[in-house]
Amino acid sequence: MGGLVQQQDFDAQAPWLSALRNAGLQAFEKQGFPTARTEAWKYTKPRALNVDDYVLSVAGGKTEKEEIPFDCYSFYFNNGVFDGNVPELPDGVEVMSLAQAAQTDFAQDYLGQAADVADKPFAALNQYYLSSGVCVHILPFVQLDKPLLFINHTLAGETNLLMNLRNLIVVENGAQAELVEYFHYTGTVKSRYLTNIVNEVFLAPDSVLKHYKVQAEAFKAGHIALTAVNAEKNAFYKSLTLQTGADIARNETHVKLLSEQAGAEVDAAYQMNGWATIDTTTDIEHLAPCTHSEQLVKGVVGGEAKGVFQGKIHIAPHAVKTEGRQLHKALLLSDKAEVDAKPELEIFADDVKCSHGAASGELDEEQLFYMQSRGIGRETAKQILIDAYLEELIAKVEDENIRKWIKLKIKTDNL
Amino acid sequence: MQKNKPEIADESGDKYKYGFVTDIDADTVPKGLNEDIIRLISAKKGEPDWLLEFRLKAFEHWQTMEEPTWAKLAYDKIGYQDLCYYSAPKQKVAPTSLEEVDKELLDTYEKLGIPLKEQEVLAGVVAVDAVFDSVSVATTYRAKLAEKGVIFCSISEAVKEYPDLVKKYLGSVVPYTDNFFACLNSAVFTDGSFVYIPQGVKCPMELSTYFRINAKNTGQFERTLIVADDESYVSYLEGCTAPQRDENQLHAAIVEIVVMKDAEVKYSTVQNWYPGDKDGKGGVYNFVTKRAACRGANSKISWTQVETGSAVTWKYPSCILQGDNSVGEFYSVAITNNHQQADTGTKMIHIGRNTTSKIISKGISAGFSNQTYRGLVKVSPSAVGVRNYSQCDSLLIGSNCGSHTVPYIENRNKTAVIEHEATTSKISDEQLFYCQQRGIGEEEAVSLIVNGFCKEVMQHLPMEFAIEAAKLINISLEGSVG
Repeated sequence: MGGLVQQQDFDAQAPWLSALRNAGLQAFEKQGFPTARTEAWKYTKPRALNVDDYVLSVAGGKTEKEEIPFDCYSFYFNNGVFDGNVPELPDGVEVMSLAQAAQTDFAQDYLGQAADVADKPFAALNQYYLSSGVCVHILPFVQLDKPLLFINHTLAGETNLLMNLRNLIVVENGAQAELVEYFHYTGTVKSRYLTNIVNEVFLAPDSVLKHYKVQAEAFKAGHIALTAVNAEKNAFYKSLTLQTGADIARNETHVKLLSEQAGAEVDAAYQMNGWATIDTTTDIEHLAPCTHSEQLVKGVVGGEAKGVFQGKIHIAPHAVKTEGRQLHKALLLSDKAEVDAKPELEIFADDVKCSHGAASGELDEEQLFYMQSRGIGRETAKQILIDAYLEELIAKVEDENIRKWIKLKIKTDNL
Repeated sequence: MQKNKPEIADESGDKYKYGFVTDIDADTVPKGLNEDIIRLISAKKGEPDWLLEFRLKAFEHWQTMEEPTWAKLAYDKIGYQDLCYYSAPKQKVAPTSLEEVDKELLDTYEKLGIPLKEQEVLAGVVAVDAVFDSVSVATTYRAKLAEKGVIFCSISEAVKEYPDLVKKYLGSVVPYTDNFFACLNSAVFTDGSFVYIPQGVKCPMELSTYFRINAKNTGQFERTLIVADDESYVSYLEGCTAPQRDENQLHAAIVEIVVMKDAEVKYSTVQNWYPGDKDGKGGVYNFVTKRAACRGANSKISWTQVETGSAVTWKYPSCILQGDNSVGEFYSVAITNNHQQADTGTKMIHIGRNTTSKIISKGISAGFSNQTYRGLVKVSPSAVGVRNYSQCDSLLIGSNCGSHTVPYIENRNKTAVIEHEATTSKISDEQLFYCQQRGIGEEEAVSLIVNGFCKEVMQHLPMEFAIEAAKLINISLEGSVG
C-alpha cells in the first residue's frame, strides 16, 4: 500500500527505459499533485484521487469474457494488466505486450514521444510506472478488416487499486484501422480505484485511425485518460468517446497535426448524475499549413454532477490555410447540476478559419409539452429528447454495429 | 492608385498626436513606495484618518501579494520602487474657477481637444473632469449639475465634501484585497472622479473624464467611483492620452460603479495611451480594474470600450448582476499593432433572477501584436432564468500577430441559457479585391472593412466619441497593410 508514487525497481531495464521512467517521476515531482490553483485542473478537482492506500495492480485474476455484438479482435485487460493473450490477427499487424516491446528498438523509437509529461502530472506518473499495456504495429497499406477491441475490466473490491496502462499504436503509411476501448467493472465497490491510462498513437503519412471509447467505470472510481496523437502528412485521426462512469473522470485528447493535410475529428459525449465530475479536455495543435480539425462535445448532466469541457485549438505561426472548429453543448437536468466550459483559441497565423461555440441550457419545456399533449408520458418524452440530443454524436460512428453497441451504453434511464 | 493614398508617415512616432510633453512645474514626491510615501500623499491631499487607514491596510496587504502571471502578456518587470507615486501640477492655491487654472495646462487640454472651456462647440453636451498626472485639474459645469443634485467632482474633493458617501461606497465593489493592481491602487491612488446621481435624476449631460500622464517616471493611479441611485441615469465617458517616452509608464486604475434599483449607467472608454514605438519601445502599461455592481432590481450597466493604445493592456470590466432582472452589457473593440499586447475581456457574474448579459468583443491584431479575449460568464445556483449571449470575433492582419480567445463559462443553474460564439479569420482577399476593383486603395479598403467589422460596437458609443474612435482605428492600423 502506498500513495500515487510507489517504489519501483527498474535498474535492470535498458538504460533508455529507466531514463524515461525516471524522467516521468521527475516530471511528476516537479509539478506535484494538481491543486485548486492549477489552471488545467481548475474545474475538475482530483483531490479525492490523492490517497495513500493504493495497491498497485498486478497480473493475474480471471479474464471476464464479455459479450460484444460486433466482430472484433479482442484484447483483455484485468485490473489494468494485459492478460497476454493475443488473438489471431491477419498479416501485417504486429502486437506485443508492453513488457516485450520494451526490449525492442521499436518501442524506444515511439514510447514517450507523443505524450508530453511536462504539464500533465498523471501522464508523468504513468510514464514512471510503464507497467502494462500493448503495442500494436500496423504495417504499411494494411487495411484491418475488423476493429481491435481493448476490454478493460476491473473487479472492484476491498482495496484501492491503482492501475497504470500504456498502449502504443503505430499505424504505418497508408494503413487503416479501427480501435475500440471499453472500460467496465464488476463487483461491489467498497473502495475506489484509479485507472490512469495513456495511449500514444502515431499516424504515418496517409494513415487513418478511428478510435471509439466507452468509459463505464464504477461510480466510485477515478478515470484519467490521455490519448496523444502525432499525425503526419494527410493522416486522419477520428475519435468518439462516451463517458458514463467514474466520479472523477477526465478524458484528454492531445492531437499534434505535424504536417500538411493532416486532420482530426475529436468528438465526445458524456452523461452523468450523482455527484460525479466528468471532464473532456482536448488540445488540437495545428503545427503545419493546411491542417484541419473538428470537435463536437455534448453532455447531459443530472443530479449534483458536474460536466467540464476544456478545449483548445492552437495554430502555430505560419500554419496558414488551416481550419479548426469546436462546439460544446450541454444539457442540465437538475437544479444542482453544473457545467463549466473553457473553449480556447490560440492563434498565431492570419490566414485561418477558426471558430468555437459553447452553449448550455435545459430541456425545452415546449418540446416536452408537445409530446405530452400527444399522449407520451413526461419521463418518456424526456428520454426521447435526451436520446435525440446525443444521437447527433452517435451518428458519427460509421460502423453500424459499433454504433448500436455504443448507443446501448448510454444510460438515460437513471437521469 | 498610389496617388490617391492619403499621406501616411512611416514613423509611428508621428502618428501619436498626443505625444507632446507639457512643460509645467510639478509637485512630486520622492520615488519609491513605502508607508511614509503613502502618509505623505495622504497628508498632501489633506485626507481624513479613515482614508489613510484604508491606504495603509491596502499597502500592508499588497506587500503579501504577487504580481499575476496568468495573462498572455510578456513585459519587463515593473520596478515599483523606481516609480513616483504622486505628481501634481504646482499651484500656489487650489483653483476655484477655470480662470485660475494654469494657462499652460489649459493649453494642453486645448491641444487634446477637450472642450474644457465652456464656450467650445461641444460644450453644453459634456461635462468634463480632467485629470492631469495624478490630480484633477478642473471640473466643468459643476454648478449646472448641482442644480439637479448631481455630484460630479474629483474624488479628493468628494472625500472632503461628501465623506459619508465616499466612505460608504469606496472599495465596496472592488475591495482592496481584490487583486495585485487594485490593491496597489488602493494604497496610492491620487485622484479621479466621483459621480453621484440622486434618486430619479436623469443626468442632463454626458459626464466625461480625460486622463493624461505627463510627468516622467510617474505612475498614474486614479480611482473613479460612480453611484447611481434608484431610477437614475448617467452616461459617462473616459479618454486617456500620454506623452511619448522611451520608458514604460504605469497606469493602474480602478473604476467602481454602483447601480441601484431601476438605474442605468453607461460607461464608455476610448483608451489611447501611448502604445510605444514601432519596435515596441516605451508605451504605457495599463492595468485596470473596472467593475460595476447592479445592486438593485432592473438596473443596467453597459460598458463600451475602444482600446487602441497602451503597450500592455490588462483590463476586464466586469458586471456583478445582483439585482433581479438586471442587465449587463459589454461592447469592446481592441486594436493592437506593432508590438502591443492586450489581454482584455469581461466578467458577467449572474446572481439575481432573470438577469441577462451580452458580450460583443471585436479584436483586431496587426503587426507583431498579440491579443487575448479572456472572459467569464458565471451563473450561480440562485440565478433562475439567466440569459447570456457572447460573441468574440477576431481579425488578424499579417502573419506575425496572434489572437487568442479564452472564455470561461460556469453554469450552475439549469434554467440558464448561455451561448458563446467565437470566430477568427483574416480580411479575405475577395473583400479586398472587391473594394480595389471599385477604385478604393488597399489601405482604405482595410479601414473600411475594419470599421464595418467594429460597427456593432461603435454604434453604442456616444456620437462625438464614435467619430474620434473611428479615426483612432484608422490611425492605429496605418502601415499594417502591404
